[in-house]
Amino acid sequence: MHMRIRALAALALIAVGGACNDDDNDNDITGTGGDRIYVQVERLGNPLVSEVTLAKRNHGFHNAGRPSTDVANHSAELRAFVTGVAGRDQTVANTLATVLLPDMLIVQTDKPATSAGWLTWALANGYGGRKLTDDVVDAGLQAIFGPLLSPNNVSPGLSTDNVDQNDRPFSTSFPYLAAGN
Amino acid sequence: MPKLLARRHRWALLAGIGALTITLAVARSSSASDHQDTPEVELSQRMDINDVYAFPGSSADRIALVLTTSSPITPAQSAAAGFDPNLLYQLKVDNTGDGVEDKVFQITFTGTGSSQQVTVRGPVAPAQTGPMNTIVPNAPTLTGTTNTTVGSAAGIQAFAGIRDDPFFLDLEQFFRIVPDRKPVSGELSQLPDQPSATAFRPANQAVDYLRGLNTLAIVLELPSAMLTDGGTRKIGIWGTISR
Repeated sequence: MHMRIRALAALALIAVGGACNDDDNDNDITGTGGDRIYVQVERLGNPLVSEVTLAKRNHGFHNAGRPSTDVANHSAELRAFVTGVAGRDQTVANTLATVLLPDMLIVQTDKPATSAGWLTWALANGYGGRKLTDDVVDAGLQAIFGPLLSPNNVSPGLSTDNVDQNDRPFSTSFPYLAAGN
Repeated sequence: MPKLLARRHRWALLAGIGALTITLAVARSSSASDHQDTPEVELSQRMDINDVYAFPGSSADRIALVLTTSSPITPAQSAAAGFDPNLLYQLKVDNTGDGVEDKVFQITFTGTGSSQQVTVRGPVAPAQTGPMNTIVPNAPTLTGTTNTTVGSAAGIQAFAGIRDDPFFLDLEQFFRIVPDRKPVSGELSQLPDQPSATAFRPANQAVDYLRGLNTLAIVLELPSAMLTDGGTRKIGIWGTISR
């Protein structure tokens, strides 16, 4: 009996743990106190997944999610976008789904720095990541509408926006981004 | 400034062209899905992550991580621009290939405007994985003032503050191709309501719409081994904003 009461009390504590913390006078619900529970409202890995391939109604679902469930939650919709909306074949859809989900920038830190660039980990067994100079708009356009992954059903006028670099040069030293305008 | 310019929305570019393809191929459909952000994030520029970058640092064994938010910020707005002291900014790293974070950076701010203090914790194992997090109990790795570089060039370095938005694209031409995606206010809203182009402009006419516009950037650099520690040398990186 005693054990059961203790177990129930423990369960109750778990169930209302967040609320209990809110009653703590030391808690700062607008500051950054250690007992504050933060809830994720925004998530971004690759510069493509949610914005392009997922319907707006599902963006909150993606924003609140985690990479470990991305394949289960978002792969079918991503592939359907590529085949249905962009009109490409299943090979293109499957390739994009495989490299973009789970939605993380993949970096192979043991590969040469010279091989860094968006998706080079998948395309060339390179460093991967995403460089400031990467033209990810064109990369995305070429993958979805151009011949990068398949020669079929390409849309040549839509495969580049012809803006290939930033308006200000990046620095070669920290913090790399150009100073504010 | 129109919220449509935020990076997540810029990718509406591709979505919009996809929608155009369908419009051409099937029939005019006004119900083509919209690929912008959630209404809450769309209306709260400070909750929007524009871009995440990861690239080699000052030497082969170092890595730089960048998270940008709140773009576009005009030069006039920049002096007063700051991070939200009520938000938790994180960069998360999976080093075991399971899509679960093994190391996190937690970045918070106190104060407002251009004289904020930034606090960086990590890289450290998170107190909880997934979308609900508390601040790790560890002491801050770095603290300092925004818009200055803090830390050590041989260890962990951090910068948080105003920078030129590193993203680039011809957003105006995009909205000429797919005007149903254009913003409801600002100069881009004045473009024709019907499509006035079917392709991007040639290189000598294309315009980077983000020229001269700023963003709030968090830049970190550290030895890669601090992220691969306990795992493999293939890692996955993503950014989050929590409130």
